Amino acid sequence: MTPNNIVNMSLLKGLECIAVCDHNSAAQQKTMALVAKEKGLHYIYGIEVQTIEEVHVLALFEKEEHCLSFGEWVKEKLPPIPNDVQYFGQQQIMNEKDEEIASEPILLLQSIEAGINETCDRVHAHHGLFILAHVMDRANSIMTQLGFIPQGLPIDGCEIKESMQKELILAMHPYLSEELIWLIDSDAHQLIDIHENEYEIDFEILKKGWRKYV
Amino acid sequence: MDIKVLRIAEFLEREKQMKVRELAEKSGFQVHADEIAFDKEIEGVFCGDLLSWVMGNCHESNAWITVQTHLNVVAVAALKEISCLIIVQDASIPQETLDKAKEEHIAVFETSMSAYEACVFCHEIGC
Repeated sequence: MTPNNIVNMSLLKGLECIAVCDHNSAAQQKTMALVAKEKGLHYIYGIEVQTIEEVHVLALFEKEEHCLSFGEWVKEKLPPIPNDVQYFGQQQIMNEKDEEIASEPILLLQSIEAGINETCDRVHAHHGLFILAHVMDRANSIMTQLGFIPQGLPIDGCEIKESMQKELILAMHPYLSEELIWLIDSDAHQLIDIHENEYEIDFEILKKGWRKYV
Repeated sequence: MDIKVLRIAEFLEREKQMKVRELAEKSGFQVHADEIAFDKEIEGVFCGDLLSWVMGNCHESNAWITVQTHLNVVAVAALKEISCLIIVQDASIPQETLDKAKEEHIAVFETSMSAYEACVFCHEIGC
C-alpha cells in the first residue's frame, strides 16, 4: 500500500473519491491528497482513531490544516509505546514518489487515551465529521465494544459495508436519524479489497456537515 | 451423607446471602452506592469488556468486573440486572457514568486490582 498504488488502484476501480484514513495518524495525509488530486481523484482528509473503549471512529475533514491539527491532538494522546516492527510491521511514511522518507516510532495500533465522547468533541472542535467506523463489524466496532450506539453521542454518520446495514442500525436505534451520513465504502486494508465504483455520496451532504462545525 | 447435604445447603445459603454491602465491607474497595444498591444480592461474577459479549453472556445478579467505564456500561448493567460493577485497574470513570449508576441504583466499585486479581478475590470471599 503506497500512495501511488492506492490512487492507481482506485482509478482502475473507477472510483471518483477516496479517503485514506490511517490508524491514529495524519502523517500521510499531505502526500495522499497530493497524489490523489494530481490524478483527478477527489480526496477527503481523514484519520481512523481508536478510542480508549477500543472503538474505531473516522474523523473526516474538508481542509488539510484541520486534519493535521487534529492529528497533533491524537499524537499527544497516544501512549508512548514503541512500534515493534517484528510484530506490527513497518510504519513507513512515504513521499509522492512512494519513497520512504520517515517512519513512525510510536505504535499506532493502540487506543488513544481519550474516550469516545471526548474524541467526538475534539473532532468537532477541529471542524471535522465524526463517523462511527465499520459499525456492524465484529471487531473494534461500536457494536462490539459498547453494545449499541449511545443515545446523545452527537455522531455525524455511520460507515457501513452495504445499504442493508443502514436499515438494521436504524431498527436497532430508534433515536438515530435517517438524515445521518451513511458512508458505504470498502474499508479496504489492502489493494485487493478496494471496491468497484458501486456506491455514491452526495458531496453536498458532507459539505453541509462540515459547515456545522466551522 | 446427611452432613454432606447439610454442608451443601449451608454453602448455598451462604452464597445466596452475599450482598453488595458485604462485598463493600470485605473488599474495602472504594464504592459509590446507596441503600438500594447495597441491598442487592450477588450471585456469581462475570468478567468482560466487550459489551456486546457481556450482554449475551452475563447473568442476572452477577457482579461485573470490567475496565470499560463508558456510560453504556450502566445501560447494559441495568438491562441485564447485574448486582454491581467492579471497575478494575484504576480505570477512570466519567462523572456521567457514576451519575447514571446512582440513578439506576447500581453500586460501582473501584480498585487498582487487575481483572484477574479481582476475580480471585471475589472467589475467595465467596461471591
